[in-house]
Amino acid sequence: MLRFALVVLVASAGALAGTPALAHFDAADRYTHKACPASATNRIDPINVVFTTWGTWARAGSQVESHTGWTAASGSVQSFTDHGGCGAIHTQRASGHGSRFHVRLRGQHADAALGWTAMAAAHHEDLVLFSVPCGHAVDANGPGGSGFDQARDELVRQLTSAGHSSYRVWWGNTQSFKQCDGDYAASDGWAAFIQLHQVSH
Amino acid sequence: MVAPLVTRPWVMAVVMLALGLALVGSVSAGGGQPSAALQSFPLYNAGERVDGLPLVAVLRREDTADFASFVYGDCVAGDDAGCAPPAEIQIWPACGRNLGLYDGVQPAGAPAEQIMVRGVPALLFDDGTRLELETGRLTAVVFADTRARTLRIAAALRAVDGTVSPGRPLPQPTRGEGRGGAVDC
Repeated sequence: MLRFALVVLVASAGALAGTPALAHFDAADRYTHKACPASATNRIDPINVVFTTWGTWARAGSQVESHTGWTAASGSVQSFTDHGGCGAIHTQRASGHGSRFHVRLRGQHADAALGWTAMAAAHHEDLVLFSVPCGHAVDANGPGGSGFDQARDELVRQLTSAGHSSYRVWWGNTQSFKQCDGDYAASDGWAAFIQLHQVSH
Repeated sequence: MVAPLVTRPWVMAVVMLALGLALVGSVSAGGGQPSAALQSFPLYNAGERVDGLPLVAVLRREDTADFASFVYGDCVAGDDAGCAPPAEIQIWPACGRNLGLYDGVQPAGAPAEQIMVRGVPALLFDDGTRLELETGRLTAVVFADTRARTLRIAAALRAVDGTVSPGRPLPQPTRGEGRGGAVDC
């Protein structure tokens, strides 16, 4: 009986030790996708922001909205992947409906080190009406970097000025994406990790 | 700095030549001071066509990122939705991007696969759809839609100035051990 209990105990410990494989932050795929299933051919935007600590998708949406004033929620649906699954965004925020900042978010479950996390794909995009009307196109580049870099840095600027801490991690997801105006835009490869607090706004 | 964006073949040839001269030659950067890194920053690409894909654009970023890019093949972008070209080669000065950036970083996903490509160290990421290799004082980054295509493009890399042909061994990294370390930009 004692031997049986020991076997059960060891097996349980082994099972618990294996559990974190499903309970960690997964950033293996660092792009959004047009639809599921995700593939390299249907990538759309680089993921360039991770909300941590209390980074549930609802808190991320609330605190982004509160600190940036990005209250619009219009935009197309894109998909994120994690832990081998693929799913649509949970929410999005934008600074308006014309040329604007825009961020799409999808939450993950809690991570032992990072806490609750949500991944985000942020960009600044122009509403292109001339010479060929095509809609929203991410800025190719500029003194502040591409539209992807500008929006990431704007989020960092606005949230850190409100007391949130942040740091940057090299992700290398610099693939260029053709935009509807014919330009190409790419991330500079850095992801911002921004801590959120428990209280929503 | 606004990058040149070129999509017409005849303009592309002129820009490629200009980019090559600018990057291989003496370039002033940072308040007019010559950049030692850029002075020895040769360009690599895969010619005017690789793996059935034509060269459709040559890009240059010089803001929060510093690289030249060669885009192969086309895709159709829509409103609020860019698209991923089938293949792209980015050339970065190794001082700004190198394999050492991945040392000590928590992978938060599948670890990179370490391989050798034409005699130099390389890392494969994202199920083989991104390859980074160090050669000389630069880092070449290949994006493609499949692992097989990524490796075929890596095999086709050539120096724009003609000093390295496709399939030939690439110059060894000049950062010493090939991984880690730092080079001043």
